[in-house]
Amino acid sequence: MAVLAAEHISKTFGSEAGAAVGVQAVRDVAFTVDQGTFLAITGSSGSGKSTVLHMLGGITRPSSGRVVLEGVDLAGLDDEQLALLRRRRIGFVFQRYNLLPELSLAENVALPLELDGKPRAFCREAAMAALEQVGMDHRADHRPDSVSGGEQQRAAIARALVTKPAILLADEPTGALDSANSKNVIELLSKLVLDDHQTVVLVTHDPTVADAATRVIQMRDGQIANDTALPRTTGVAE
Amino acid sequence: MRLGHLLVRQWAMRPGRALATVASVAVAVGAVVATWVAADASRSGYRRLTEAIEGAPSIEITSEEESRFSIEDLPSLGDIPGLRAIIPLFYRPTLLRVGEKRVREIAMGVDCSTLVDQGLLTLAEGEPCIAPDEVVLDQGLAASLKLGVGDEVLMFARRGIKRMQVTGLAESASLATFSAGGGVVVEIAALSDMSSALGLVDRVRVVLKPDATRSQVLEAVADRLPASLSAEVPAGRASMAEDVLHAADLGLDFVTGLTVAMSWFIVVNAMLMNVTERRRGLALVRLLGGTARQLRHTVLVEAALLGVLGAIVGAGLGLLAARPIAAGIAGALNAPLTEFTYDPVIVWIAMLMGPAVAMAAAWWPAREAGRVELLEGIAQAPPPPARGVSLKYLLGAVSLWCIAALILLAVLLELIPPRASVPAGTVTMLAFVGITPVVLPWVSSGLVRLVPRCWWIEARIAHEQIMRQPVRTALTTGVLVVAVSNGIGLGHAIRDNVDNVLDWYDGWMQADWLVVQAGALGAMPPQAGPDAAAIDTLAREIPGVAKVEAIAVATGRAAGVACVVVARDLPGPGSGLPLDAIGLDETEAREALERGDAFVGTALSQKTGIQPGDEIAVEVYGRTTKVKVAGLVVDFMSGGVAVHVSREAGRTLFGLDAIEVLLVTAVPGQAAALQEPLEQLANEHGMLARSFAEMQSMIDRVVQGIVGSLKSILMLGFVVGSLGVANTVTMNVLEKTRTLGLLRSVGMTSGQVTRLVVIQSILLGAAGGVIGTFGGITTALFIQISSQPLLGYPVQMSLRPGLIALNLGAAILVTAVAAWLPARRASRLDLLQAISSE
Ligand SMILES: Nc1ncnc2c1ncn2[C@@H]1O[C@H](COP(=O)(O)OP(=O)(O)OP(=O)(O)O)[C@@H](O)[C@H]1O
Ligand SMILES: [Mg+2]
Repeated sequence: MAVLAAEHISKTFGSEAGAAVGVQAVRDVAFTVDQGTFLAITGSSGSGKSTVLHMLGGITRPSSGRVVLEGVDLAGLDDEQLALLRRRRIGFVFQRYNLLPELSLAENVALPLELDGKPRAFCREAAMAALEQVGMDHRADHRPDSVSGGEQQRAAIARALVTKPAILLADEPTGALDSANSKNVIELLSKLVLDDHQTVVLVTHDPTVADAATRVIQMRDGQIANDTALPRTTGVAE
Repeated sequence: MRLGHLLVRQWAMRPGRALATVASVAVAVGAVVATWVAADASRSGYRRLTEAIEGAPSIEITSEEESRFSIEDLPSLGDIPGLRAIIPLFYRPTLLRVGEKRVREIAMGVDCSTLVDQGLLTLAEGEPCIAPDEVVLDQGLAASLKLGVGDEVLMFARRGIKRMQVTGLAESASLATFSAGGGVVVEIAALSDMSSALGLVDRVRVVLKPDATRSQVLEAVADRLPASLSAEVPAGRASMAEDVLHAADLGLDFVTGLTVAMSWFIVVNAMLMNVTERRRGLALVRLLGGTARQLRHTVLVEAALLGVLGAIVGAGLGLLAARPIAAGIAGALNAPLTEFTYDPVIVWIAMLMGPAVAMAAAWWPAREAGRVELLEGIAQAPPPPARGVSLKYLLGAVSLWCIAALILLAVLLELIPPRASVPAGTVTMLAFVGITPVVLPWVSSGLVRLVPRCWWIEARIAHEQIMRQPVRTALTTGVLVVAVSNGIGLGHAIRDNVDNVLDWYDGWMQADWLVVQAGALGAMPPQAGPDAAAIDTLAREIPGVAKVEAIAVATGRAAGVACVVVARDLPGPGSGLPLDAIGLDETEAREALERGDAFVGTALSQKTGIQPGDEIAVEVYGRTTKVKVAGLVVDFMSGGVAVHVSREAGRTLFGLDAIEVLLVTAVPGQAAALQEPLEQLANEHGMLARSFAEMQSMIDRVVQGIVGSLKSILMLGFVVGSLGVANTVTMNVLEKTRTLGLLRSVGMTSGQVTRLVVIQSILLGAAGGVIGTFGGITTALFIQISSQPLLGYPVQMSLRPGLIALNLGAAILVTAVAAWLPARRASRLDLLQAISSE
């Protein structure tokens, strides 16, 4: 069953502002993502990877085409509904600046639940569980600036998972990490896909990161150049 | 409040930012409280000043037909708000005899002991008169008759001679409210009985509470009266300060209005910065699924909390600051502050204002917070804010001006009262602040050129940073624009008015000595006696006197309006006319006066619509005579509600010969020698001799007091402005931590960073000063124009470069000083922390 579908989405920047020629970042991209897929989107810098991911997550709206998440057309939602959708059904992990510096790791992780108005005790418990899942529960009450970059990213993943989202979107989550930390994060993501059947879409230009995926879409000049399903030894259910 | 703990954490982590916001609100609220209390203190100071000159504010009820009426005809008025006392008055000319001395006096019948109890009549000595054979005398009169408490005096009445005992001496100033120039107080029933007129009164004086509005009470009283009675504002003696007071009062309103506007900018600015600085965090929350509503609420709740805190601190600071200011003002007005009182309502309003303004100010940033670009949260570098401002902004400013112009027009056409020009002035000010972001680029790039070459880099970056945030910069500058316009505008308006009054006095009174009547003007002719009119002749006979001019004054009505009728000797040809006739040259005016024509004060013309060429009915001493109006005069006597004629015409047309003022000029070198003979002459006629220097210094004191009081309030404006700027610059530095750290890391020295911050601040100060100068000139025009209906004539406005330079200099100095601490802070940034911060 397709969790997520990108139906011929395109994105042109600058055309709204009335510029004569807009930058066409993404051109007619179409694909579907099934439950439990670990999809890696790769491509050179400027090829439109992040833009695609932002459209999938409802951060930006496509200039044309549509994104359907769990049967819901994102184009039909207003900004507030999109916020609710991001809060409940989508988890984000970015390259940097994922965490609010004022809050402890546990509070950062609990934030989406807090926003949703869940009882405080429940939020705390869920946050601790998510941190445990990523192996960060021992640093729960530390501030982001007192843990390493890799640990910050794991906390960010915990936060993305805390709402049990339909899909986890990650944009270069290892971009600011060294190879050891990077490996650590990728292993964590793989484990989520394998053990919990979590759907993950990850943007990267690092081939070793892409190797962990079950499917790789390669982009060039805003278009899909290649779409390969990788046979996984562990055999993730399709 | 789900994001509450986020707020608390943010405050804990960045106490500086939260404190700066609280400080902004505190400064704003404190400014409003201090200005308000100080303005109140000034007003009550002005009131005491006017009261000292013309008595407590009151309304007079008189009969339409006969001179006396039965007290039974007076309806009950006690429940009308704003009344302090209702005083029936009975006057009777009388002759006093003490030994061989005889004095013509007006005896006044009042309920003496009640007046004393109510504090309306102050006895310097002794007790109020109660029994029919008791009398209270004016202190000055008693002194000239060499009488004291317990002495006896003979009073001539219709029923023969009465022996009266002096029970008390009244302070002259406190008598001014009731006396018709008389200094003899008798129990009202006793006096009316002496005249076989028991139960009748000449008039009823209704004394108002200090905070009552005279026109409102007048209307309410007039509504109750039967047709036979009428109520009006009593015509008083020349109250020289009144016009200055009017302008000053309007000025106070302006200052208060503008302080509110200034506080508003300070708070909006603080709130805006508070939000912009956290954009990245807010965007991240939004990205994680925080709704725009949630963010808006968070920002508003924060504003309310910081607002409450700021209001509490601010109200306390404001009251602390107000105390010395009020004392200073009272001192300047020569009305010592006996006790520091303030209306607790002010504090309550301020307390409510804090959070309300903070929330209102946060509304826009809150909306912005709800609308942050989601990608900002994860962007490597936050996007630079858009340069320049929209057309919408400009249109907004222009329409504000149009609104202000319309209000001003309505004030000029007298569709609305002059006070309405205060909000209009504030709106104009807002418009000036509104166009600030539009003109700021030009002003700033112009000013940058003035920075020395060696600081070129700092200046360029400073300018660039200003350009990047036009709205924010405009708000910071706005505080200064308001402070400078305030200073320049009010400074001009006050000086122009004061100069106007002083010029008038110079023309009106040129003499070495003045012999004047004490107390209020009479509405009935003084008993004609053998020596009644002879005082000017007697004065001329004194050796050493070069010139004597007499001015006779009485109250009357012109075109149905109560006014003062002034009849004055015409000086010989060539020595100038004491009248400032509008549009007529001296010869023409002199001819008109010699013909027996009248000149009408501008305020009276404004009130009645009398125009040159009209023939008007003037009633004096109950006799109506028609006179032709030759022209209008600018006049500060009785606030311009006056009819002027030559002394000759006054005598023949109106039978007016009550000499009010005698101007005596001495032969050069003889001025001092005249003191004794003039004092003696004055004494014999129940008048006071004053040296011109004494008079001049009294006028100066009043004028200085008023100017001083306004100055201290203006100073307050500058202090608030500088605090606001200091706060904004501090927040600016806090917000730019990252940028400044980056600059440092690429090799900017700490000295350069300091200069960068200071130069930026000075650029803002100078820009605010330049824009404020235009705003100030507009404000000055505004006050002039809007006080025109009040004064009845246009006040000349002249530009005062000194005043402008002073204000500009103050603005620049204030910003330079305000930037110093934040600049130090910026130069000492921990590099690592700076570049890794958020
Ligand atoms: N907000 C924007 N306005 C204008 N152009 C944009 C904007 N965002 C992206 N672009 C342009 O769209 C194209 C695709 O950008 P995108 O960020 O998706 O690339 P990417 O594949 O993620 O690159 P990288 O690997 O460097 O992150 C680029 O040419 C970029 O310059
Ligand atoms: Mg990218």
